[in-house]
Amino acid sequence: MKAWLEISDLQKKIDDDFQLGPIDLRIVPGTITALVGNNGSGKSTLLKLIMNLANPDVGNIKVFGKFVYGQDESWKNQISYLPQTRIGWDAYSGNTLKRLIAPIYPNWDDALFIQIVELFNIPLNKPYRKLSQGIQQKLSLALTIPRNTPLLLLDEPTSFMDMPSKKQFVDLVVDWMDQDERAIIIASHQAEDIRKLSDYLCVIQNGKHVGTFEKETLTEHYMRYWIHGAFPEQRIPGEVTREKHQLISNDPAATENFLLKNNVTWTDRSKLDLEDIVSHLLNAGKEG
Amino acid sequence: MELPIRLSKDSREPIYHQIENQLKALIAGGQLVAGTPLPSIRALSKDLEISIITTRRAYQDLEHQGFIRTSQGKGTFVAEIEDATKQQVKISSVYQTIEKAVDTAIQYDYSLDQIEEIFQEVIRSQRLSQNEKGD
Repeated sequence: MKAWLEISDLQKKIDDDFQLGPIDLRIVPGTITALVGNNGSGKSTLLKLIMNLANPDVGNIKVFGKFVYGQDESWKNQISYLPQTRIGWDAYSGNTLKRLIAPIYPNWDDALFIQIVELFNIPLNKPYRKLSQGIQQKLSLALTIPRNTPLLLLDEPTSFMDMPSKKQFVDLVVDWMDQDERAIIIASHQAEDIRKLSDYLCVIQNGKHVGTFEKETLTEHYMRYWIHGAFPEQRIPGEVTREKHQLISNDPAATENFLLKNNVTWTDRSKLDLEDIVSHLLNAGKEG
Repeated sequence: MELPIRLSKDSREPIYHQIENQLKALIAGGQLVAGTPLPSIRALSKDLEISIITTRRAYQDLEHQGFIRTSQGKGTFVAEIEDATKQQVKISSVYQTIEKAVDTAIQYDYSLDQIEEIFQEVIRSQRLSQNEKGD
């Protein structure tokens, strides 16, 4: 399938201790990709690079076939970006911000804007700076999603929201994705967003791209075993970690084969939660 | 609409296969009648916390086998299926369930004779409760 966004060999040195990349990533229509990583792993920087708000040292980014740093800026009509902090919004009310933003986007969906405002009960007459952080995020979403661009980039959109609102956000995104051919990249630490929305996880550890995985290639390949008796001393094929009677494997077939051959039995086995898998990936990235 | 599908966390059966089998059982068992709208691929993926790649695969397989149909722009619906197919699904799901029970017993080191005994005991107690209900 044709990629809407193509990132190849992207590298950006932030300072002496931190470099982002090299990152390769393709986004195809109809998919949601979660950017996951520890704090300060470079997720926000990656989104800024896509929006051409920062310059890469090496590598290329193409949005709808156009280099983002090229003369032709037509790609900007095809992408919406929700940053973590809004610069220059403080003094304006939701009403004013909408009057400023809506005309820029030819596909602006006012009915959807009103729907989101009512869903989250957002006051439109107060200046942005007077709103709580959770409400600011809701207003920011209400002013971004109705732009109805095919590509949507969200940077931590729900971090300050209460639990019911996070759930409503998930349903909102699902509905939005069903309306037309669209794709989302969402940087998030929220387990709910990652479990319920993502198709792919792009895992970044301290700037290093650990990998991009389809969700089930992770959840179907990580298994926890409760081992009966003593562990063999050598490393077990597929072994990720071991402690006391528990073994975590990312290659259950190889692990079970080895255990059976060595007469090691297990009392139980169970798949891991996605959050646990992500933690293991990030820990492995740290060592590597 | 949310479907009563439950994915097993310790099964060796791939997720797309679990979805297929459970949807087939719901259709063959009459819980989902012909024409019932099914959730979109994106909505079902959210409910089951899986990727659209997996859900799409399950829907495509079910469509090829004639259990569901998709009409452009309208969504996915339960298809009209023949009684013979329904019977087949029921039979194979009963077989699978019993096979799984036997597998579990073997894993716990029960002999086949012991398993047969347990099986007959389960049948006996079922008979008793059915007779009681009949009275």
